[in-house]
Amino acid sequence: MNDLMIESRDLRFAYEKGTDVLTDVSFSLAEGEKVGLIGRNGAGKSTLLKLLVGLELPNTGTLRIRGIPVERKTLSEIRRMIGYVFQDSDSQLFMTTVEEDVAFAPRNYGFSEEEVEKRVTDALEKVRIPHLRKKSVYKLSGGEKKLASLATILSMTPDIILLDEPTVTLDPGNRSNLIRLLNGLDCSLFIASHDLDFIWDTCSRVLILSEGRIVCEGPSEEILRNGDLLRKNGLELPLSLIQRDRCK
Amino acid sequence: MHMADALVSPAVAGVMAAASATAAVVSVYKVSQEDNRKKIPLMGVMGAFVFAAQMINFTIPGTGSSGHLCGGMMLSALLGPWAGFLSMIAVLLIQCLFFADGGLLALGCNIWNMAFYGCFLGSLLIWRPIMKNGASRLKILIASVVGCVVTLQLGAFSVVLETLVSGITELPFGVFAAAMQPIHLAIGLVEGLITAAVLIFVYEARPELLWGIDTQKENRMPIGATFGVLGGAAAVIGGGLSLLASSLPDGLEWAIGRVAGVEELESAGTGAYAAAESVQESLSFLPDYAFKGSESVLGTTVSGIVGALLVLALLICVAFIIRAFRKKQQASTEE
Amino acid sequence: MSRIGQAISEIQTLESVSREDRWMNRIHPLSKLCLTVFYIVLTVSFSKYDLAGLFSMILYPAIAFMTADLSVRDAFRRLRAVLALVAVMGIANPFFDRTAILSFGAFTVTGGIVSMISLFMKAVFTVFAAYLLIATTPMDDICYALRLLFVPRILVTLLLLVYRYLTMLMKEAGRVTDAYLLRAPGQKGIHFRAWGPLAGQMLLRSADFAGVLYESMLLRGFTGEFRPTFRHSLKASDLLWPLGWASVLILLKLFPLVSVLGRLVTGNWN
Repeated sequence: MNDLMIESRDLRFAYEKGTDVLTDVSFSLAEGEKVGLIGRNGAGKSTLLKLLVGLELPNTGTLRIRGIPVERKTLSEIRRMIGYVFQDSDSQLFMTTVEEDVAFAPRNYGFSEEEVEKRVTDALEKVRIPHLRKKSVYKLSGGEKKLASLATILSMTPDIILLDEPTVTLDPGNRSNLIRLLNGLDCSLFIASHDLDFIWDTCSRVLILSEGRIVCEGPSEEILRNGDLLRKNGLELPLSLIQRDRCK
Repeated sequence: MHMADALVSPAVAGVMAAASATAAVVSVYKVSQEDNRKKIPLMGVMGAFVFAAQMINFTIPGTGSSGHLCGGMMLSALLGPWAGFLSMIAVLLIQCLFFADGGLLALGCNIWNMAFYGCFLGSLLIWRPIMKNGASRLKILIASVVGCVVTLQLGAFSVVLETLVSGITELPFGVFAAAMQPIHLAIGLVEGLITAAVLIFVYEARPELLWGIDTQKENRMPIGATFGVLGGAAAVIGGGLSLLASSLPDGLEWAIGRVAGVEELESAGTGAYAAAESVQESLSFLPDYAFKGSESVLGTTVSGIVGALLVLALLICVAFIIRAFRKKQQASTEE
Repeated sequence: MSRIGQAISEIQTLESVSREDRWMNRIHPLSKLCLTVFYIVLTVSFSKYDLAGLFSMILYPAIAFMTADLSVRDAFRRLRAVLALVAVMGIANPFFDRTAILSFGAFTVTGGIVSMISLFMKAVFTVFAAYLLIATTPMDDICYALRLLFVPRILVTLLLLVYRYLTMLMKEAGRVTDAYLLRAPGQKGIHFRAWGPLAGQMLLRSADFAGVLYESMLLRGFTGEFRPTFRHSLKASDLLWPLGWASVLILLKLFPLVSVLGRLVTGNWN
């Protein structure tokens, strides 16, 4: 049994020949670990997430999810273990009601209707929106959409969840609600974001991606306090840390 | 150009629904043969896009009025005839259900008039031949304008035929067609220009999104076969409609028959339906459309009006009962 | 309100009304769909001079509207979509069919007037019947019914997708035109120089969106189609409601209720 959830070695990827989007990306993610992926716009964060679920395949290097290499023929197996919460909730929620959408994946994976029912109920309770079950998707607010998207992934009971810029459309209340929910989950999380306060509140380890390379890796405590390092990569100290320092 | 249910007779609606359903079945087969799952979300989103973009008002220079995008040509230029046709069906059904744009029964007519010509004629006989040796701005402009004008003319003409055969209007064929065709010529020109503007933009930004402009050669249907399919379809429809026309007492025939003192033509239908019709005609208001002296007609009219009032009174009673029942139910749930 | 804003609010109103938990909404979608089509077929098959017979068809929409507790005003508003063509044809009838049927002094009722009235009645009844269906049946239930009628999966999937993204793209079309008009004071619509870029940009964004949408479906096991479900069990009313109405409607078609009632009261049996 391999307890490494994600194992990436020397990944290289280019959309067009000659212009690498990702270069020599190596990192790993352990079971239950929560890791943040930070970097400026266009650093390659979203591309790396796409590689992890096999929406794009690496040009060179190896990528394993729970020990299984990500290849064309293993994709369906990989995708059952790994859930992807898209930045734009509208692309995630394509059915008419919340309930139908949360049931989409379990139904596709051939679970019985009772099991689907149970999974929908569980997922909605985990994100605390059972009251939205019958609601039409386009009547949801931005915050509700994000929670519903998370529920559509939780109903697949994945081992790993990837989140792409989860806080972009959220107000402060919904944001702290999401932080609470994510901290309560026991699966591994891999969060791409430039909201460093959010990463500070959810992740124990951080990777900095810059121009397609992982330039730094370490505990959140260390990296998110290193103002110079962050500024060099187009980022800034988390606001909460600045305020705390001021209070001292 | 959306036809309401009230404008078609069940027989015409049936023939047109059968024709549209046949085209739909062939399209479903063609699209599933392509086996391109990625195309399904594209078809859905493009259908929604065309629906939404049709609501944007584009000002026509030199006039105060505005025009809109042409759905059929647009969708088939993006998705090809088969997938475009299916997307148009989805759009038309939603328009009919949610906006009462066209009726449920008339859906077959509307699909035929607006989706069939635009998607199949427009793309197979106009768009593709013009794009044969590579596309250009001018070619896209020509194809869009010609495509929109031709398909709208055919659509408008079909509306005329379908209503006349249904015996809905007393408008003589010539007057009706003379009113419909020129209006739709103008609309077609404007829609063609707007559609061309959008397609030219797409061509310059992302040519790979357009259908039929480069690597489509391998699954190309020869022009002869295309004509064959379309000719066959036209023959079936024409034959069906003319059979119906001859068996139905349409406005003109009825008028001629009465003037000449000829017995009224038997109404279409057999069995129970015909029996029902005859029972009803013998009893109802204006039986046999004959006039047994104005006094008796007056009498029937009065009794007809009285009867209608009674039905209304009955409805008001029902309304009170339902309201009382609902109040009682509410009271019991509140307890 | 703009045309787009109005369309969005209409869809949203229908969506909430259709999802309310009421008796009519709980009836099986297939029953309601079949009954609606049956009613429309029967209504349009009345002869254009048979006003009395046609009038009796008011019973179904009127009683069903009360049962479903729907707004008649909303239903009337929907008539405007079909009104243009119906009005042109209806109003032409009195001019071309001048056969006198009845005269009260100077006023003459012609065949054309009767057929015009019957055409308008048919338009109102059929639009009301369709409204009854859509206002008590959510889109996914209609799609479920269509599947039961063997409508191909791909078409049902498309219907659900177009329906889902229609509001989103209409909102975008509204934002794009608002943004345009805010910088183009005095213009009523989009100037022809902006025709291509404005709608074209929106099209490209939609195409990109469709790509992301496909990825998100793929990651959740999409196999090429949606599977609409209906989670109510079959009840007696699922059969009784449509069959009951079907028999009443057939009786009304066979038996001219309005004229018989009228004759009973006036005693005029000639």
